[in-house]
Amino acid sequence: MNAHDEERMKQFLKQALPPMGDAEPGRDLWPAMLRRLDARPTAVPWFDWALAGGLAVFALAFPASIPVFLYYL
Amino acid sequence: MNTHPYLRAFLAGTFVPTLILPLFLTVFIVVRLILQTPIPIERGLVFPMALVPILWALWNVLWLGSHSRTHLPIGPHGALLPLLLMPAGAIAASCLGILGLGAHGVTWFHTWYLPYAVIAPCFLAALAGYYLVWKYIVGFLNQTLGIA
Repeated sequence: MNAHDEERMKQFLKQALPPMGDAEPGRDLWPAMLRRLDARPTAVPWFDWALAGGLAVFALAFPASIPVFLYYL
Repeated sequence: MNTHPYLRAFLAGTFVPTLILPLFLTVFIVVRLILQTPIPIERGLVFPMALVPILWALWNVLWLGSHSRTHLPIGPHGALLPLLLMPAGAIAASCLGILGLGAHGVTWFHTWYLPYAVIAPCFLAALAGYYLVWKYIVGFLNQTLGIA
């Protein structure tokens, strides 16, 4: 590839890729980031609480299953 | 943090079983060496110490590798692992002589008797437990390590 080809390639690339324009965001994003960091974590859904409760009840009803569960962990 | 995602998935997957291993060793030392209880725990340690951590790690690697195609959340993916682990663990326990099959139930470690009617709820409980552990612990680790 000679210098002429390189120049043509540059021209093609410039035509294919539009200019970026203003790369800076329109507003300050840091306060929104801080609000998100301070926000409370997502609550655990009731279904997961029910599963955990069911597991506890099962372990209490059948204590012999606890070592079996530990065997698989 | 964009390098070696599968290594990070492997480490995140093996985290939970590795945390529990010292607990097993403590129970083993107390029950067998201090209390001299005739329960063959040492035979049962082979499966959770050697195979389970590797399987958890590979399962998390599999999740990372397949997530872009399946879009399966981490919780249900983890809940599928007992489908592989339970038969493998039962076969290993039977070969090691710690699982005895009886007429009405099975006996683990020559001590704990489980009727056959309880095994199906046991399996469902294992699915639920794995779902919760994978969703909240392994999922958290994957997020922390930047792979989820």
